[in-house]
Amino acid sequence: MIAEFGYGIALVSFLVAVYSIFAAVYGATKKSASMVESARRAMLLTFPLISLAAGALIYLLVTNQFNVAFVYEVTSRSMPTYLKVTAWWGGQAGSLLFWSWLLAAFTSAVTLRKWDRDIEFLPWVIVVCSVTLVFFLGMVIFYENPFTRFWLVNGSVEPHMFAPLNATIFTPDDGNGLNPLLRHPGMVIHPPMLYLGFVSYVIPYAFAMAALITGRTDDRWIRLTRRWSLWAWLFLSFGLVLGGRWAYDVLGWGGYWGWDPVEIAAFMPWLTGTAFLHSVMIQEKRGMLKHWNMILVILTYALVIFGTFLTRSGVLSSVHAFANSPIGPLFMGFVSTTLVASIALVIYRWPTLRSETEMKSMLSREALFLLNNLLFMSILVVCFWGVIFPLISELFTGQKVTVGPPFYERATAPLFSALLFLSAVAPLSAWGHSTIQTLGRAIWKSAAAAAVVTITLFFTYTNKIGALIGFFLIALILFVTFQEFWRGTRARQQAQGENFLTALSRLMGRNRRRYGGYIIHISMALMAIGILGIELFQTSTQGALAKDETLTISGYTLQYKELASWEDRGEGVNYTRAVVDIFKDGEYIGELNPRIDYYFDSQQNMTIPGNRSTLKDDLYVLLVDWQPVSAVGATFKVYVNPLVNWLWIGSLVFLVGIVFAAWPDRDPAEEPARRSVTQRANQTSAADD
Amino acid sequence: MTETTDPKRGVSLWVQVVIWVFVVALLLLVAVTLKKRQQGTVQPGDTIPDFTLPLFSGYEYQGQSEVKLSDFRGKVVVLNFWASWCKPCEQEAAELQEAWEFYESNGDVVFVGADYVDTEPEARAYLKKFGITFFNGPDMGTKISQTFRIQGVPETYFIDQEGTLYYIKIGPFISVDEIKSIIDQQLQ
Repeated sequence: MIAEFGYGIALVSFLVAVYSIFAAVYGATKKSASMVESARRAMLLTFPLISLAAGALIYLLVTNQFNVAFVYEVTSRSMPTYLKVTAWWGGQAGSLLFWSWLLAAFTSAVTLRKWDRDIEFLPWVIVVCSVTLVFFLGMVIFYENPFTRFWLVNGSVEPHMFAPLNATIFTPDDGNGLNPLLRHPGMVIHPPMLYLGFVSYVIPYAFAMAALITGRTDDRWIRLTRRWSLWAWLFLSFGLVLGGRWAYDVLGWGGYWGWDPVEIAAFMPWLTGTAFLHSVMIQEKRGMLKHWNMILVILTYALVIFGTFLTRSGVLSSVHAFANSPIGPLFMGFVSTTLVASIALVIYRWPTLRSETEMKSMLSREALFLLNNLLFMSILVVCFWGVIFPLISELFTGQKVTVGPPFYERATAPLFSALLFLSAVAPLSAWGHSTIQTLGRAIWKSAAAAAVVTITLFFTYTNKIGALIGFFLIALILFVTFQEFWRGTRARQQAQGENFLTALSRLMGRNRRRYGGYIIHISMALMAIGILGIELFQTSTQGALAKDETLTISGYTLQYKELASWEDRGEGVNYTRAVVDIFKDGEYIGELNPRIDYYFDSQQNMTIPGNRSTLKDDLYVLLVDWQPVSAVGATFKVYVNPLVNWLWIGSLVFLVGIVFAAWPDRDPAEEPARRSVTQRANQTSAADD
Repeated sequence: MTETTDPKRGVSLWVQVVIWVFVVALLLLVAVTLKKRQQGTVQPGDTIPDFTLPLFSGYEYQGQSEVKLSDFRGKVVVLNFWASWCKPCEQEAAELQEAWEFYESNGDVVFVGADYVDTEPEARAYLKKFGITFFNGPDMGTKISQTFRIQGVPETYFIDQEGTLYYIKIGPFISVDEIKSIIDQQLQ
């Protein structure tokens, strides 16, 4: 009953979304405000409707209704309730419904804002969002239905939505259970974060399309969606970091990023999104790069859909296996249609997107931002080529190839270094005009300090030239950024007579985007420390140890003490846990407990590393195998990952920076005037601008 | 909006042509690949056409520097696709070797490693690192992997005594027992 209810509601929301498309187009072309309003209300209705359908699915998940195929696939009795809820996005069908739900939520939030000044955008924003929603809901309803149930038909079990003739419902005793790899807290939040990021990029895209369709191509659409693109970027970035952390904790290969096609598919929209974040500032400040911003937002949207498509269609060989699914061709059709339509629109409106000013200095802030964009685009080209080249090779030579991490690492390392350098230099340049002298004067102290750090590292830590260049750039960013904070605060202290902390907090509070951006630059530098550490200095070894035998790596000695294996039937897991004593330079520093958890329901293992994490390095020990009969011997794989902790520290700083930048605030320019209450209310409602 | 340049100038025709050719080519490329992938891998019950695998020196089969699938009639063949760059392959390397050592002396099961899109020095280093001794060779021109239409590595195909595929494992094995149970179901 609940399953039919959920399916019925999903179907209704699909029809409502279809209606909103037609009503919006009709309203816009016939200039009928009432039809546009009707479309807006229909759009608003989709959110509560899809929430109901989602509620039905969650109810089925948490109440163990294994006669529903999706529930059977992703849950089992032994799973705790919170995991049953998160299993919602643990499989294809559910995650498509989840996508639709998020999109409906975001579109509703957008359509609820005040539209007076921008009413001509409204119908087209609704059209773009609704078309995307109809596509995703369509897949849920016609192809990947999470409400399908098992029916016993003439002795065989078949999945159908509605009862076939002479069929009785079939309920398995227990479900398959969620893939244990996905039961990690990082994995519980990683997919929704990525989806949030993906879905939020639909909004800037919808506004860009509305701007192109209506011909109102000034920077209004950018101002309206500025905060959306920041939040989208936050979610996407956070999703990527969580995925990395999950891989580090769970996948048991001592790394966090494998340049797997699926990872790259999520990374590509991040690249265009990051470029977009920088280049919109040029359009806002200088009225330049309008074409470019349109192209970037279209690319981001296309890559979001393309990425979702690639990961789910089996086009790319990947460790992130999604089963082959009938939705591939549909995605293909949707990607093609939206891409072709967007490109056609941009070409049509090309003449109205001209820049208002010209670039005057190659060292001005806008020129450096443009360079930053080119670097991000170059990384995108590398990634895109790496993903697409195997397809070309297979088609034309009949030979399969794969593009592995070395290609990406070699091709992108200089680009990332150049980006680091730019993020040190660009904050010091001025809009409009900078010269080598002004930049040199601003940077020399930081550069000298960074050189001192690098020389110290050369004598105390490493003589690898690549690492030293990396550390120099990181130090440069940190010094330049701190100097910027220092300089701004001192200036304010002198002008306003405030104490240091007040001056600093007011300075930052009044220029959220600028100082949030600086915090993000600091976080990138910190993350770069971790990446340099693990990429250039990781060491690993593997060995089979008998009891009390030792293994030595990079100053650490591991001694295998004992191993225990026990079952927890309630949780449905068999734990095998080793005890390993750790010595550093001969001194005992503690024990580690690498584990293998075997999940009965899904008959899968999960390798949990024993990890000793310090700011200097991580000692990461995996239990690979053991002799079950006597438990006397076990095989361990050991990694020493220098500096990797800085990657996670940087991620947290990053989060702080972006939330700081994106946080809705009062417009400081308006503050002293103390405007009337109604105006203030308007201002707050436009806070999502 | 103030314009400083000629507002009438659009995208020139040849640029438009280049853009559309590029977009259409890209979409076609993805569409063709998608169509291929939708076939999926070979399926249990399919008879596997004979193929030849050249072997790395030191990994020969009865002194031969290459093997044919038909050489193994009457034995269960465990055909493992792997690569030295493949991290998940490392998860199962020790297990595969241990399973091979378990069956090696009986002679009714044979393990064959097909190294997928790899370079020989790295592949050899990998085999040495995990102490692998079963027959191994490069899948030249990815011919064998295309016969099986593999989706990625690691993938392992279990072929019965008559040359018919009876089990596919996508992704790494969890344990030696898992490998043994798949083989034993065919030996009994």
